[in-house]
Amino acid sequence: MTVSDFSTVSTIEPLPPPEPAEPIDNANDAARPSFAAIVASLHGRTGKTLFARVLADYFLLSGNRPLVFDTDFTEQTLRAAFPFDTVVLDLSETRDQMRLFDTVAARSPEARVVDVSHYVFRKFFKVMEDCDFVSEARERQVEPVIFYIANRNADAYEEGLQLRERFSECALVLVENVFLGPLKEQTLRSAGYRAFDSHDLCMMLPLLDPAVAAAIEESEVSLSDVISAPLSRTDDSAFGGLTFDQRAEMRRWLMKVFRDIHRVTRAAEQRASLRVPIIDY
Amino acid sequence: MKPVVLMVGADKGGVGKTTVTRTVLDYLAAKNVLVRAFDAEHPRGTLQRFHPDVTEVVDITTAADQMKMIDTLATSEVKVSVIDISAGLLAETLKAFTDVGFFDLVREGEFNFGLMHVVGSSVASLDEIAEVLPYAKGKHYFIVKNFINDTSFFEWNPAVYRNYFRGTTDAVEVTIPKLNEMAYEQVEISGVPFSDFVGNRGPDGQAANNSLVLRGYVRTWMRHITDEYDRVGLLDRLYDRTAAAA
Repeated sequence: MTVSDFSTVSTIEPLPPPEPAEPIDNANDAARPSFAAIVASLHGRTGKTLFARVLADYFLLSGNRPLVFDTDFTEQTLRAAFPFDTVVLDLSETRDQMRLFDTVAARSPEARVVDVSHYVFRKFFKVMEDCDFVSEARERQVEPVIFYIANRNADAYEEGLQLRERFSECALVLVENVFLGPLKEQTLRSAGYRAFDSHDLCMMLPLLDPAVAAAIEESEVSLSDVISAPLSRTDDSAFGGLTFDQRAEMRRWLMKVFRDIHRVTRAAEQRASLRVPIIDY
Repeated sequence: MKPVVLMVGADKGGVGKTTVTRTVLDYLAAKNVLVRAFDAEHPRGTLQRFHPDVTEVVDITTAADQMKMIDTLATSEVKVSVIDISAGLLAETLKAFTDVGFFDLVREGEFNFGLMHVVGSSVASLDEIAEVLPYAKGKHYFIVKNFINDTSFFEWNPAVYRNYFRGTTDAVEVTIPKLNEMAYEQVEISGVPFSDFVGNRGPDGQAANNSLVLRGYVRTWMRHITDEYDRVGLLDRLYDRTAAAA
């Protein structure tokens, strides 16, 4: 699989109908919901976009090519860097709100990843709430999961808590990024942080060599290839000039994160199956 | 419960009168009130397009149609008759209803009467209020400021404003908030009640395929309107119950 296998959707064309799903070897999969992963953080520079990219790769590697939505109209980070079908949206436009929520809630087998820019954080969740997105999506066999990345500040946890209450029907995964450093004393004491003490869906982004992190954000590096290609000492050129050790670290890091994503998405799916008794595993 | 006549009118077009009527019909239906509506926009019938089941188009200037509305009040099962009066005919209609003795019956307690007066931002509207004022005594006169289309609205001189409303201290001000343009447009195209648009139903009750974002906008907007009608005690006032206080 190479980068050229993927296309990039322009910002003007209406969305094409979702492509038919690739044949699935497990017949029961047809009854499983598809995921809509909403990646958000209150502040910038929390590793959100990196995480959104890793999520998209997770879905890709699990045979479920994702549709990616980038809400940062000005920077368009994901579109520049991603080898996925990526739609860039300006949420101040009603039309783009429709393209986002109506497409994400549509019945189709592919996974969806939404990178919610911190610039549109409140707008996004306001529209999501107003259009009753969670129940609308579920009606169409789409299971939304909020991946909320907290940073070191108390207000980030407070906001996360509010999200959890506003969207109590929706699974919320608290993502903590070790790279952001230890939490502030004040944060540890805050009510918002403490409310997450007993939260059941949590995951950690482990430390990553900054050079490797930078390489992941390079468009030429295919994370899928890093994972699936054999680790070779000779072919350095293929992965953004990373050394063997750096590639090994990237691989370790990705495997760890993928495992965590797998764990929390399975947990969310299990909950969904409890809620919708029709699904027969 | 006495039969209620609720007129919705404006003396000029383009202030969203029929839209206001549609919100009232949805509101009353949500409160389980049996309603019927008369669309006086003869012969075009905009209201009838959205609420065909309960709406009849009438020519309000003819005695025959006036009788059709008034004579059936006591016998009809419906509790509230909403009359959407076409632009420019409000004062004339009020006068006609006076002439046939309708307001005498209201005074004698046969019927209840409410008037929703959708006003624009211009001075012409103030004059129009003056014309309507004689009929606007009591607690059943609603001045509706319609922000649906977000016109530059009500930049009225407060002194002028007070002057006009001195005679009607009981007048109730109702504000209809703005609705997202695309959502409004889509409901117009669908030609269904707002509640059906939100419920994703088409004109014949079949499943529709409306955008959930646009349905969300309409749902939120309707919730605000419901809160507003509740706030002013619209139903209590129409039924002459005392609970309401604006």
